[in-house]
Amino acid sequence: MSQTKPTIDFGFTDVPLQEKVKKVKGVFDSVAGNYDIMNDVMSLGVHRLWKRHTIELSGIRPGKVVLDLAGGTGDLTKEFAKRVGKEGKVVLADINESMVRVGRDRLINAGITGNVEYTITNAEALAFPDNTFDLATIAFGLRNVTNKDKALEELYRVLKPGGQLMILEFSKVTQPLFAKFYDFYSFNILPKMGKMIANDEASYQYLAESIRMHPDQETLKQMMLTAGFDKAEYLNMSEGIVALHRGWKY
Amino acid sequence: MNTSTNHTSLPLLSLSKTIEVALNTAMRLDDEQGKAFTPLEDKVISLTLTPIESPLYLIVTNTRISVQTTLQGEADAGIQTTLIDFASLPIQRQLPHAKLSGDTQLAQDFINALCTLDIDWEEQLSHYTGDLIAFKIGHGIRSFFNAQQGVKDTVSQTLKEFLQFEIEAVPTQSQVKRFCHEVDDTTTQTNALEARINTLLTPS
Ligand SMILES: C[S@@+](CC[C@H](N)C(=O)[O-])C[C@H]1O[C@@H](n2cnc3c(N)ncnc32)[C@H](O)[C@@H]1O
Repeated sequence: MSQTKPTIDFGFTDVPLQEKVKKVKGVFDSVAGNYDIMNDVMSLGVHRLWKRHTIELSGIRPGKVVLDLAGGTGDLTKEFAKRVGKEGKVVLADINESMVRVGRDRLINAGITGNVEYTITNAEALAFPDNTFDLATIAFGLRNVTNKDKALEELYRVLKPGGQLMILEFSKVTQPLFAKFYDFYSFNILPKMGKMIANDEASYQYLAESIRMHPDQETLKQMMLTAGFDKAEYLNMSEGIVALHRGWKY
Repeated sequence: MNTSTNHTSLPLLSLSKTIEVALNTAMRLDDEQGKAFTPLEDKVISLTLTPIESPLYLIVTNTRISVQTTLQGEADAGIQTTLIDFASLPIQRQLPHAKLSGDTQLAQDFINALCTLDIDWEEQLSHYTGDLIAFKIGHGIRSFFNAQQGVKDTVSQTLKEFLQFEIEAVPTQSQVKRFCHEVDDTTTQTNALEARINTLLTPS
């Protein structure tokens, strides 16, 4: 066999492409149970604000059909479901069954039923017809997708004309001194906390590394335009720790 | 696409969440579980609370109200009133000077439904202060690292604005006193965080 198998970053380690999907799945299998607690600890609770801000800016209203891709344990789905009403619908789609199961249980416990569907799907090959959704979100998920360009094309395809994509993702910190602190936090504190809380240092090391490897604000915006979006813009939150990219299909 | 702003100010975001929590808590505690809102299901009401200029959009679904700062398209009905009148609704049981627009019957139904609720603004203030801590951690970072005074200035500025805003809206003594305690707590916690971060940043 030739040695030219395509490889792709898995955090800082290059791995063969097919393996990344498996590895990412492994990471989320191992964090699913503690995922919500870790989110709070990792971001000092601020992830809730980033998500709230995203919901607010979506301008969502009753009757709309929403895709929450890489929806995981359903934070965004829950809020959208409250807003689209009985005429609207939210589809929580994720590649990982354990995450979806945790999410579904959580939402049912919170009394959210009737307008939410749960689907296992890969972002790179979405199991939905063209022009299906008014709004699509992918929060802290794109980073883990192997072929991001393909995923963006798929998201464009399933949006209705006039529809909007919102990508919430770790990005590049803009302030130099803060960037230094943030690096220290990500590579020294975060994995240790992962070990303490979830007894899983490796997964959180991967998270820190994958954040670093993710395209910065301008690069991602260009990727969206290349994937077909007719307009794209972004908004930095918390000095660029996180950026919200928005793209429109006309 | 008709979203009014691209960036929502943080106090406004926090206000929208505070109102959301206050209304939903009141609905849950209501004997009728907010049944008065049933006819309003799947409607959107825009609520402008002067002197705040930007409207809030209240979405009623399945005896729950969601509040947000932007909306695609138009609301079904609009209510414009003062913040003080709105805050005194649980006592006054009316909005005497409100301006209604769009489907005015719907707007009136909404006001009537609100009047059935006992909204405890005092309780909700504590959530608002909790949010402020988070806001400062998440969004005060530029000043935190750029300026020497950093976080202290932005925090006290935000708290000052917030305090003025709340004192006007909720003028009773006990509420103000309790709120001030919470502001103290907020400052203490933010200072502690600042100290921790400074320690981390100091090269050993
Ligand atoms: C960090 S979680 C984010 C969950 C949720 N959106 C949130 O913000 O809390 C990332 C999620 O992306 C999912 N994921 C990773 N690769 C994916 C892919 N190729 N297609 C769909 N989902 C994927 C993971 O299973 C995981 O649930």
